[in-house]
Amino acid sequence: MEVLSGLMHGFGVALDPINLLYCFIGVFIGTLVGVLPGIGPISAMSLLLPVTLSGTPEAGIIMMAGIYYGSMYGGSTTSILVNIPGEAASVVTCIDGHEMAKIGRAGPALGIAALGSFVAGTFAIVVLMLVAPTLAKVAVAFGPAEYFSLMVLGLTILSFLTQGSMAKALLMACVGVVIGLIGLDQITGFPRLTFDRLELVDGIGLVPVVMGLFGVTEILCNLEQQVRRDVVQSRIGSLWPDKADMKASAAPIARGTVLGFLLGILPGGGAVISSFASYALERRLSKTPGRFGKGAIEGVAGPEAANNAAAGGAFIPLLTLGIPPNVVMALLLGAFVVHNVQPGPLLMTQHPQVFWGVIASMYIGNIMLLVLNMPLIGMWVQVLKAPYRILFPLILMFCIVGVFASGNAVFDVFVMIGSGVAGYLMRKFGYEAAPLVLAFVLGPMLENNLRKSLILSHGSFEIFVTRPISLLCLLVAVLLLLAPLLPALRRKREKVALDVTD
Amino acid sequence: MIRRAELWGGLFWLAVGAFVAWQGWLLGLGTLHEPGSGFLFFWLGLVMCAFSVTIALAGMRGQGPELADLWRGARWGRVLLVIAALIVYGVAFEPLGFVPCTLALLLFLMTVVDPVPLKLSVPISAAAAVGVWYVLQKLLLIQLPHGTLFE
Repeated sequence: MEVLSGLMHGFGVALDPINLLYCFIGVFIGTLVGVLPGIGPISAMSLLLPVTLSGTPEAGIIMMAGIYYGSMYGGSTTSILVNIPGEAASVVTCIDGHEMAKIGRAGPALGIAALGSFVAGTFAIVVLMLVAPTLAKVAVAFGPAEYFSLMVLGLTILSFLTQGSMAKALLMACVGVVIGLIGLDQITGFPRLTFDRLELVDGIGLVPVVMGLFGVTEILCNLEQQVRRDVVQSRIGSLWPDKADMKASAAPIARGTVLGFLLGILPGGGAVISSFASYALERRLSKTPGRFGKGAIEGVAGPEAANNAAAGGAFIPLLTLGIPPNVVMALLLGAFVVHNVQPGPLLMTQHPQVFWGVIASMYIGNIMLLVLNMPLIGMWVQVLKAPYRILFPLILMFCIVGVFASGNAVFDVFVMIGSGVAGYLMRKFGYEAAPLVLAFVLGPMLENNLRKSLILSHGSFEIFVTRPISLLCLLVAVLLLLAPLLPALRRKREKVALDVTD
Repeated sequence: MIRRAELWGGLFWLAVGAFVAWQGWLLGLGTLHEPGSGFLFFWLGLVMCAFSVTIALAGMRGQGPELADLWRGARWGRVLLVIAALIVYGVAFEPLGFVPCTLALLLFLMTVVDPVPLKLSVPISAAAAVGVWYVLQKLLLIQLPHGTLFE
């Protein structure tokens, strides 16, 4: 009953004309950045973070959330038609989606991707709506020790799931915490690592770091390679999959939805991992696994459902615990913070219009996305044909403008350039940016909770192992840290990393 | 061994880790009852050093690519041009103002870095620079630098 009345209240908020407009802008931009290779939801959300300041908190967050789940929809278009994933979670859609396009079945591939995304997105919202209030009640009992251990677990899982060396990923997480702590000490008010620069007293901004590490780095990496875009030239045809396609896709969509949702809740690249896991699952369950890689519709339906369900699942830790499970959610946390709204267990009682408004807007956004993706596919194909040599200067300009507008300081532009160069070198040397950014956001919270726990326990680390939730989180984190030392697990992890790279 | 990327990467981060730990020490570690401002910096710095040593050792054992392999076949000249252009843009942003700077940057990127025909690059650059300025400055009322040199 409580959920139903909350949802009704949410629809009241989401159907407000201004919020509807923000929702539409969000899903439209999300689809656009999902379609365009070289700019993803992270860059788009950082770019638009300053724009949300002018509206109400719910309007801004509705738009930011729309960009995220919108990009999951849009990413499939590029994968299917160009064989270049619009964003990381659509990498696996390239395999069978583009093969389908090459044999003249681009329409059903795009159609099933949109339908699967819609089903999974809607399922994720329903479960989010049902689970979040209960979890929020449990989360009220969390103290600083639980929060600290949970954040350590989050960073460890993310490091475990990233490609390549775990030592490098953990190193990046440490670097992220250090950068996040630059500025005034929250407890003593003492400036730290500011080198007498006034600009650093308030700390380094999230927007310039993210824009540099993702936006500028992506452009630099694309520029040094010859980006080849092979847009399918044949007619796309009817988007509506036929009876046989529907029958073949129903079970993969259902399995992908559940799998994606569960993996999405976990910290780390939920959407990316879930799409790969769904593809592997479908290939294993198929009676004709040989069709995979040659245009099997199940290879599109399952992963597309999985990445959209994961996008929904990722909202759970943020909305109920206030802890972002991935970089995109970290940016969303930034959007909450700029509006003086603290996500977490009290969000539902203190800001019900934000919590329920965002959830209700996702229902509406999913319908908008279905409308945007099915009939307007021709328009997105035209967007895809825009040459990268024209797109990249414009993206770079938007990055600069977005960064400058977020803090009205040229210093931030230099931080973005520095982060961009650092991100480029990091990619060259095999260091992942995702653990750095998540740790950068979590750093101040992590330190605060560590120091509070130690003060509460009179300097004893026992507080972290005597509280059951904290102990469980730390045990899982230790297991993950030790996992690469076990040869069988190491091989499995390297295989996952290799699959993602391929 | 000396050409291994892992070795140089590890050594770089070792230096950064040592610096962070040193800064943490200078800031003050405090006590376990009341951790000081440098407590986390110090310990994080040491952890960074430990990871860096692991990475550098992997490089010394000959693991990972050589430095030259990282840029083999890459068109790194373009990357350098873009970085240089961005730095010049950052320096000139306030003295020259948003529109001239952005126009120059876009023209440079579209004519030198990855050329497109002038009949396209000029109108696109001009429309983008002026259009963004108009939307931000006039519609969204976001202040952009108008050029201290012209004051």
